[in-house]
Amino acid sequence: MSLIAISADSYPQGLDIAQRTAAALGYGLLGRELLAQVAADRGLPQEQLVQALEETPGFFGMRTRRQQELLLHIQAACLERLLADNLVCYGLGAHLYLVGVSHALRVRVLAEPQQRAAELAALRGLPPERAAKLLERQDQERRRWSSQFFQADEMDPAQYDMVLSLGNLEPEKAVEIICDAAGYRKFQAMTYSRKCLQDKALAARVLAKLMPRFPDIRLQASDGTVVAQVQSLKRDQRKKQEAVRELASQVPGVSYVEVQVIRDYFGQAAQSGR
Amino acid sequence: MPEPLEVLLLDDEPIVGRRLKPALAKIGCAVEVFENPEKALARLQEKEFKIVVTDIRMDDIDGMQVLEFVRERWPESKVIMITGYAMMSLAREAMEKGAFDFIAKPFKPDDLRRVIAKAARALGYTLDFEAAAPEGG
Repeated sequence: MSLIAISADSYPQGLDIAQRTAAALGYGLLGRELLAQVAADRGLPQEQLVQALEETPGFFGMRTRRQQELLLHIQAACLERLLADNLVCYGLGAHLYLVGVSHALRVRVLAEPQQRAAELAALRGLPPERAAKLLERQDQERRRWSSQFFQADEMDPAQYDMVLSLGNLEPEKAVEIICDAAGYRKFQAMTYSRKCLQDKALAARVLAKLMPRFPDIRLQASDGTVVAQVQSLKRDQRKKQEAVRELASQVPGVSYVEVQVIRDYFGQAAQSGR
Repeated sequence: MPEPLEVLLLDDEPIVGRRLKPALAKIGCAVEVFENPEKALARLQEKEFKIVVTDIRMDDIDGMQVLEFVRERWPESKVIMITGYAMMSLAREAMEKGAFDFIAKPFKPDDLRRVIAKAARALGYTLDFEAAAPEGG
């Protein structure tokens, strides 16, 4: 009775491990197929959802705010599905937003570096040395991506319950180790961990609803109660509180909304200087 | 009339026992409440309770020690941990040591009743609590 979130530095090799693990345990596999559903349900372009999961924020890329919104939609949909338990999740960044959920086993799978470079060289038609250099850059970008959107370094082993190197382990053995760990009592679901997951799912749903209109909003959810913090000029305070409360209340599962206002002193100063 | 399910409830905050004892009695539990962990352990030494509900953070003896004691003395008993200081590492430690469930405070009496009903089912008892219908986990 647990969840397994797999992250990998090679998408195809991680996917292989995720598929084998799900099959071995009889669990469902939650992967990028979910993006089609998210796109259809929320009227979002599917290719942008993929891009949001892969692209580092930058001058020529997608706007950071837009990317954050898309990631929140993915997060909300993914967490909703994960409430069902007994799932292996891969390719949706779940290892970064399941932090604190004790029945989620977070696994990092590392591909053998030369094989990874060979995969990239074949894909892009590059000589091996250039492919290796490109991989280094991609790893740095991945670090930036996870730090920017989830305030965590995806490459840091401390983020995971387990790190497995496919350079030293056959895929079958890696799967066996993951399945064995998933059976540990410490990764079993309990009232507390289910509640953590429910609260995270609700917070993500509310954030996805509010973020387009209130990009600076921060919030926490617990048992249907949402506490939101939003910046505002003094004169707009009441209007903003009402708007946040009204929008958040529309999200299924929200029973009470408290809106705390943080005074926007920079905005205030800019207004008074006019 | 079915035999009542014997429950030992240990929490150093008196309000917890005062509040939960009648709530659990309603579903057919015979509850003994303790605020002192040493006295609770002395009672657990002499008598088997089917379910033990214990706070974790207490002076001198903590809930993890109570859990270990019960698992050793009465391996069939189900231990439910409650705490106001819930965090992932503590939850995992409790489960690893054999806790049946782990609940973060504050919680509603119904939340605990639901978990107790689940533990009772695992022990072969049926409690009169419709809201505690089977769910995952």
